[in-house]
Amino acid sequence: MKLLSYVVLLLSISFSAVAEESEPAKVWLERLSVSLNKLNFSTSFVVVKNNQAQPYHWFHGVDDNGKELEILSLLNGPRRDILRKGDVVSYIEPELPPYSVSSQKISGPIPSILSGDISQLETSYDFISVGRSRILGRPAQLIRIEAKNAHRHAYWLWLDQHSSMLLKMSIVTKQGQPLEHIQFTHLDITDKPSESVLQLHETELPVLVDIPEEYQQQQLQWNVNWLPVGFKQINSNRHKISLTKQPVEFMLFSDGLVDVSIYVNASEEKQRNADFAKDGATLVLNQVNEGIEVSVVGKIPSNTAKKIADSITIKPPKVP
Amino acid sequence: MSESKFETVSSCVDNFQHNEHTFDEIINDEHLSTTWDRYHLIGDVLRNDTPDILQLDLSQEIAKAIADEPTVLAPKTNNVFVLKLKAKVVEFAKPFGQLAIAASAAGLMVLGVQSNVSQNNETILPSQIVKTIPMAGIAEPVSLNFQQPDVASQKQAFIEQQRRFHALLSDHKQQIKLGSLTVNANKVDEQSEINSLDTNKANESNK
Repeated sequence: MKLLSYVVLLLSISFSAVAEESEPAKVWLERLSVSLNKLNFSTSFVVVKNNQAQPYHWFHGVDDNGKELEILSLLNGPRRDILRKGDVVSYIEPELPPYSVSSQKISGPIPSILSGDISQLETSYDFISVGRSRILGRPAQLIRIEAKNAHRHAYWLWLDQHSSMLLKMSIVTKQGQPLEHIQFTHLDITDKPSESVLQLHETELPVLVDIPEEYQQQQLQWNVNWLPVGFKQINSNRHKISLTKQPVEFMLFSDGLVDVSIYVNASEEKQRNADFAKDGATLVLNQVNEGIEVSVVGKIPSNTAKKIADSITIKPPKVP
Repeated sequence: MSESKFETVSSCVDNFQHNEHTFDEIINDEHLSTTWDRYHLIGDVLRNDTPDILQLDLSQEIAKAIADEPTVLAPKTNNVFVLKLKAKVVEFAKPFGQLAIAASAAGLMVLGVQSNVSQNNETILPSQIVKTIPMAGIAEPVSLNFQQPDVASQKQAFIEQQRRFHALLSDHKQQIKLGSLTVNANKVDEQSEINSLDTNKANESNK
């Protein structure tokens, strides 16, 4: 009798595996989104970039009231923790005093869109189911999020065949050269939320910062005339860069998966050629043209960044 | 005698000659017949044709054959000639090599002197301004009055640029954290700037 039940179990597993393989990539990504929102998991992963590995712990749970609790902490170096209780996300970082923002997404190494509505990526990306391999000792399905044009990088995701959880992620250039990896090293899925996330109930989160809407939507005296199709403006403001105290005018664009920041400020220098720096997949471009310093930051290829920077024009002052 | 020896040797080596005369000679000459035997044994060993029992004996035979070989195949006189030749080559090559080193050193000295001379020329004409095309693409004046950016200030500029990159990166991350709240609140209002973008799709999907 026991043997029979094993056989039935094996059959059902292999049957479901066959069924899963024929499913389109979008279904896989939708299942990943559900898993990231609904499952109680505690997991570890490393971000591998610039020949360095940064280890993280990530806990997620849903309490009895259906509230999502989440902890993401960097394990090396100074403490960097992100705590989330439902709609409040708190950032604890060495650069700033702890603060909270009202949001449902934590902003960490894993793109927050993966736990959101994946269909908003469809204008700019294709979802391709590629094949199976073994990741973290589990059978995994490789799903590629490929950009429709050459202005963006591709994201490759390896998802657990059983839980649809993320097991590995790579950011790859259009030519297939890997830039950054996230490799999960441990994954525990439990029925009940773990002790560590339930402790969040007792934790008092830092004060919520209130950013007036007008601040994030200021009129600036310049235009960005070219961006890859699919990028939308998230905000535009004037602020000081915290490390250099340099006042800048700033715009943030996003296509859902990739964020691109554009900084414009007056410079003491008259002219300086474009200089690039790379942090894994994140590119920083800095150039000075006719006394105007322009910087572009984001996970985009250098050609795209250069094209964006060159497309910026200063609005002529209004005639009174 | 030596000619017939060569014949036998070659016949043994390529296993081709079936001349009665050579066979007779080999049989009559004890030395040749043993050599012939050995060569066949060696051939058998190489082809793995030898029976197992023979193997111990065979090693001795091969050792003997190898010991005998130089007298047949490589006369000693030849070796001596090669050695002499080698010695002469070394003798000739040594002075040539030293001469080459000396010549290149002299060349370097000449170059050094020339560059010194050219530097001296510049001091003769202090007001001279030479236009050069630097890497940055903008022509910079070069003269005694003009202060060339030295290594230290270049290093300073490099550090400054690295600092700028670092600041931009951390600010980018910071702004994403703050920016995500407006997205979720669905308060994103298209600004006039965005309308100039070449994307109609972006507008549609946002509405």
